[in-house]
Amino acid sequence: MPSNLRQWSLALGVLSLIGMLIAPYMALVHADVESQMLLAQKIFYFHVPSAYGMYLGFFLTFVFSILYLWKKEKRHDIWASCAAEVGLLFCTVVLITGCIWAKPIWGAWWVWDPQLTLVLVMWLIFVAYRMLHNYSEDPLSSARFRAVLGIIGFLDAPLIHLSVRLWRGQHPNVVRAERIGLPPDMLQAFLFCSIVFIILFTAILIKRVSVEKSRDELESLKAYVRDRRTILGSAVQN
Amino acid sequence: MSFLNAAMAVLWKDLRTELRTKERLSTMCFFALLVVLIFNFAFESGNGSLQSAAPGIFWVAVLFSGLMGLTRSFNQERENDALMGFLLTPADRGAFYLGKTAANAITMAVMEILLLPLLAIFFNIPIAEHILRLIPVCFFGTLGFAAVGTLFAAMSINTRLQEALLPMLTLPILVPSILAAVEATSGVLAGEPLADLAQWLRILVAFSLLFLAACLLLFDYVVEE
Repeated sequence: MPSNLRQWSLALGVLSLIGMLIAPYMALVHADVESQMLLAQKIFYFHVPSAYGMYLGFFLTFVFSILYLWKKEKRHDIWASCAAEVGLLFCTVVLITGCIWAKPIWGAWWVWDPQLTLVLVMWLIFVAYRMLHNYSEDPLSSARFRAVLGIIGFLDAPLIHLSVRLWRGQHPNVVRAERIGLPPDMLQAFLFCSIVFIILFTAILIKRVSVEKSRDELESLKAYVRDRRTILGSAVQN
Repeated sequence: MSFLNAAMAVLWKDLRTELRTKERLSTMCFFALLVVLIFNFAFESGNGSLQSAAPGIFWVAVLFSGLMGLTRSFNQERENDALMGFLLTPADRGAFYLGKTAANAITMAVMEILLLPLLAIFFNIPIAEHILRLIPVCFFGTLGFAAVGTLFAAMSINTRLQEALLPMLTLPILVPSILAAVEATSGVLAGEPLADLAQWLRILVAFSLLFLAACLLLFDYVVEE
């Protein structure tokens, strides 16, 4: 199984490398310059696909967290925590690219727009998830705690969305890039970038899982060697 | 022993300990008072900004002192392995969670009752005339907080950071509830009828019931040995 995972991550890694080399061409050259936002709109081809990666990561964390609590198999915990980690990475990219876009368009690095607030709160929840990972004492209870937070965090998302929409409901004049009907060249570039980012997400996730599995294997081998030594040591003494 | 009996027993045990020592309630109230006073110094008083910030200040004081109370509520279970003792009984673990949540919510409610008159005096707000419409807001706001906070308090005492981790886990999850509670409280204090605040109340009710149910189901996995 590990060699299988490694092959997958290599294949997807090469695919996403090629894709990422072509993506800037699609975004900058193939797609026309948008008439209102001009060049600032170009970040949309990286911003929205990163958001897809982020949602995918958080959704996978939710699914594998449930599977872990249900089946208690370590591999589900590994998948859940790796998905959360890669999701957090994509979430950070979404926040940073969002700020870069907001500065020329909205005139401020940060606006308390519902969408931005939702992503920020999700980011906070998954940072808390990482902290739970890092500061736990016992690995088994830590895996259960993570799974619980992964489930609660995901359940919270619709409520956060609803409340921030209501909170900022009095600002309807927000132009969202997605709502504008896209001409074919922009749509092609956007779809291409979306697929590349999903492949990139999967490649990083699988790589991360295979590293985590190797680490796990190493730990159990170390424990095995330690046990052998103790047995041998006591045998020699006798 | 039925599920509800067990939950009531845990609730009653917690309330009785609290009634005898009053250590949680007194520290929580004093801390909430300090938060209110600090905000009073931080904001310029006299130009009305303090009055408009009052709902936010109230809920921040409730949240922070509530977090303090939550940590205490599980630390006392850790002393002499009291929690382990409960887990060894055949009673349902969900009952323990429910009893604990109820005890935490009631302790916080008592603190809120003591805090509101102080808020009225310090910030010069006529709270008495709005008090009836404030009850549902406070009830569901506190219930949602206690539901999520009790689960995370049980988690955080078993980590290396202990109580330091509790606010980091709880506050991001509580965002919808805090937002709805603050907005609904401002609406109530501004004299709006509850019907106009229905959307906020709906979020408060949905949040508290959803997480009460979810945490009840998930608590088993948190205390599992």
